[in-house]
Amino acid sequence: MVNSNVQIRLSHLSRSFQEGAQQHVVLQDLSANFYEGETVALRGRSGSGKSTLLNVISGIDAPDSGRIEIAGLDITAMSERDRTLFRRLHIGFVYQAFNLVPTLTVADNIRLVLQLNKVEDAEGSRRIRELLTAVGLADRRHSYPDVLSGGEQQRVAIARALAHRPRIVLADEPTGNLDDDTADDVLSLLGDLVRQEGGTMIVATHSAKVAARSDRVLELQNGQLIADSRHG
Amino acid sequence: MPVLYKASFGYLLRHPWQLGLALLGICIGVAVIVAVDIANSSSRKAFLLSMNTINGEASHQIVAGPGGVDEELYVHLRVAGGMRNIAPIVTGYVSVDGQTLQVLGVDVFAERTFRAYTQPATGRRSTLNESTFGEFLTKPGAVLMSSAVATKLGLAIGEDFTITSAGRDYPALLIGTTQSSSSSAALANILVVDIASAQHWFDKIGHLSRIDVRLPADQGAAASILAELPPGTELLSAESRTRSITEMSTAFMTNLTAMSLLALLIGTFLIYNSVSFAVLQRRGLIGVLRALGLTRRETFSLIVAEGAALGIVGALFGVLLGVWLGEQLLLLVSQSINDLYFRVTVTNVTVSPLSLLVGFVAGVGATGLAAMVPAIEASGYRPQLSLARSVLERRTRRLLPSIALAGLAAAALALIILPLSGTSLVAGLTAMFLLILGFALCIPVMVDTVSRLAAGVAGRFGGATARLTVRGVSASLSRTGVAIVALAVAVSATVGVSVMVDSFRLAVNDWIGNSLRADIYVGVPGGSLDPELVRDIAQLPGVAEISSSRRIWLEMPQGRTRVLILNRAGPGYGGVELLDAEAEETWRSFEADGAVLVSEPYAYRNAVARGSTLSLNTPLGPQAFNIAATYRSYDANQGTVLMSRTTYRRYWHDEAIDSIGVYLAAGAASQSVMERMREISKGRQSLLMRSNRELRDLSLQIFDRTFVITDVLYWLAVGVAIIGILGSMLALQLERAREFAILRAIGMTPWQLGSMVTLQSGFIGLLSGLAALPLGLLMAWVLIDVINRRSFGWQMDMSIAPSFLLTALALSTGAALMAGLYPAYRAASARPALAMREE
Repeated sequence: MVNSNVQIRLSHLSRSFQEGAQQHVVLQDLSANFYEGETVALRGRSGSGKSTLLNVISGIDAPDSGRIEIAGLDITAMSERDRTLFRRLHIGFVYQAFNLVPTLTVADNIRLVLQLNKVEDAEGSRRIRELLTAVGLADRRHSYPDVLSGGEQQRVAIARALAHRPRIVLADEPTGNLDDDTADDVLSLLGDLVRQEGGTMIVATHSAKVAARSDRVLELQNGQLIADSRHG
Repeated sequence: MPVLYKASFGYLLRHPWQLGLALLGICIGVAVIVAVDIANSSSRKAFLLSMNTINGEASHQIVAGPGGVDEELYVHLRVAGGMRNIAPIVTGYVSVDGQTLQVLGVDVFAERTFRAYTQPATGRRSTLNESTFGEFLTKPGAVLMSSAVATKLGLAIGEDFTITSAGRDYPALLIGTTQSSSSSAALANILVVDIASAQHWFDKIGHLSRIDVRLPADQGAAASILAELPPGTELLSAESRTRSITEMSTAFMTNLTAMSLLALLIGTFLIYNSVSFAVLQRRGLIGVLRALGLTRRETFSLIVAEGAALGIVGALFGVLLGVWLGEQLLLLVSQSINDLYFRVTVTNVTVSPLSLLVGFVAGVGATGLAAMVPAIEASGYRPQLSLARSVLERRTRRLLPSIALAGLAAAALALIILPLSGTSLVAGLTAMFLLILGFALCIPVMVDTVSRLAAGVAGRFGGATARLTVRGVSASLSRTGVAIVALAVAVSATVGVSVMVDSFRLAVNDWIGNSLRADIYVGVPGGSLDPELVRDIAQLPGVAEISSSRRIWLEMPQGRTRVLILNRAGPGYGGVELLDAEAEETWRSFEADGAVLVSEPYAYRNAVARGSTLSLNTPLGPQAFNIAATYRSYDANQGTVLMSRTTYRRYWHDEAIDSIGVYLAAGAASQSVMERMREISKGRQSLLMRSNRELRDLSLQIFDRTFVITDVLYWLAVGVAIIGILGSMLALQLERAREFAILRAIGMTPWQLGSMVTLQSGFIGLLSGLAALPLGLLMAWVLIDVINRRSFGWQMDMSIAPSFLLTALALSTGAALMAGLYPAYRAASARPALAMREE
């Protein structure tokens, strides 16, 4: 349920990278708000700044200038450590390449996040069961990622991203490695679960289908916001 | 176990070969340290136990020069001085059935408060019972020995046997066995006899080797004894006397420890290599963990914990292996100590908890240290950066100048320490390790430059594949750099040690060749030659001249001095190479003015030179002797004072001769002269004769024997290096599985890919070898000019045999090629699709 509370406020963000003698501007004076409970699709061509924007929102990267407020907290003023702890507690990530830990079972991949957040073992196990049931992988809890299909791996990644009930879920091309049918399944699941948990989700995507499922679509070009359209 | 650690260790368990090789590297490094420590401490402890057993409860000892203490002094102290806590001792070495045993000649009546095992039957710890007590005193040659030696010699109580002392045979009778619960091992090679028998056997009638004294703590007692002592006789603390003997071997043992540390240093580089690879290979995983919220500190702790776990397991196995290896090395160490310093018979391996702890802590510490750098690096990854290999390579390249500068700083620090640290061996070793570290840090920048230059040449002659092979080394410098450094350090150690040992061997060979001028050398084991016999030998047909020598120890409160007394023969002293004086003037003052010469080690240790004076304890009291010159000598690292027979006779009135050099007349055959000597010595003294050639060979054999342990440690270090190379190559090629899969996918055949991987491994080996040569020569220079000098006082020229350099190149290239075979096979046989998917 989208409400009018601003969950994320981006003000005049800029970010550039130095490559040799060249300076690549990736984000340019970008400002935007994201509201509690909404799902926003970030669209744009490769290199338009989608992934960088997700990285600076999550605190993985820091902007050169500008300000990011999440639930009223200025994360650009935080130290690297505080940003990491903030990310650990409040943000869930879903990647295009799944990025599951290959040496851990499905259940342990999810438990990893719960343990980082110091969730009690019994509570953690209950949560893992609940999530694996929700993503339809209850019977694969002891499997290792390399024996799962792409769709199954992404479902585990979704469960992991939601395990600690984050305020914000960031998904970077979550269906980029999946076929259309599987992508549909994964998207429905991700959308449903985030809504159930009441979180805000930002999805970087090229896919029109993904965008169509979102509450709002932001269009990026050369690091600038060129369109902001709300569905329905 | 927390899931985080499960994720980390799961990776290690999924790569058992890498894990096994890393553990083996740590294990051998630790094993060498523990083994050397066990061998050193067992030898030292055996010697101390033996000395303590022989010294018994004596707090002090009265000693004199080569002739020993006059027996009258003992009588005087006991009767006139009323001293009861003193005991006379005559000691020396004899041979029984080819086995060397130490004789302890005692006066049982004076022994009561000194040694329990020589006491009559008055208590449970007694050795002599009432029936044997009488025999001990009345039967000449009555002997007590340990039951172990009796069994070894096949002797039963009551059985007669023969002992040989100074080439003469004497009858002996076994009347009982010694028992001492606390020191049975120390008694293993000791014969206890009545003092009169010992005096007879060692030709010391009227003299004692020493008088043992038990003094109360107050200084007055010592002063009252000192007042009674004639000149040339000293009252020394038993403990400091034992210590001064054991200190002779300290430098030798320190060098062995340094060798073992070198093995651990190589091991540390290899551990660093393994952990670095493990981090590099998991940069994706680390990136994910960082994105999930793992802080830098937690990432650091994770990598260090992983290194520590590796260290603990490797060190535990290393400690166990070290105990076994220590037992094997003990024989070599005790043999070298026997050859070079003092007699020691080691029957027990002493495994002290401290030795094990030191090895364990060194292993875990080295691993922790080695894991620290990659852990810092991993914790510094920004999550998205950790996923990009190109960024990693750029970052590595950016760091190269700083790493090289740090290396230069370490080398500069070493070069500052060297001149400022005087004669400190520990500082010398620290400087050597800093130089190794400094040079190692400069290797990556050299590798980058060389491989970039080589890529152009390779491309011109070998096409795109050759260019790819060579460029791959600098393109993957974050991984190849570490492997090359580890291999180069290991190979440089082989160059350094080989050049040092070879230079030393050449110097000793020249010195022996120069020193041994006589045609035949004659002596008796553990004693002096019969003067009559010496005169008869000099009269034999075919003998032109003889030279004579005598070796004595002079003891003073500040330490022991070894003095070699020479009597020149016709060809003169040409065999003595003077280092700082003109021959003619030196020998004139040596013969006529009572001046002495000092060996190079003596001059170094005592900071004296030509023109200085040294004080020696003579029967006429302490006398100052002018030093006429310093001479080259490699025979004893505690140093020797060379004195003419004329000077010696003037102060000591001792005519004993330990050995003679026989110079043959023109045309005389050494075999026939030796045969004649054998004939005239029959029934008088059994002579030990060696031709010039035999003695040279024997001397070199002893030299080689002392380096056997160095060789063993050297090969262990090489073993650690080869294990490391294998691990590095395996990790390096596995890490590039995706790159290889792409090459296969775009059309490279398995054979081409396999060849490329093998050649690249060989190129890495070649680069390591090339880097190892200057580092090895630098190490050789430090070993020769600093470590050897500070340990033993010797100086020698560095001799670089090209074969060592070629061997080092062949070793590194060959080992890397061999190590590259399996990864090449894996790369060639991997299914491209699977490899790309796994990535």
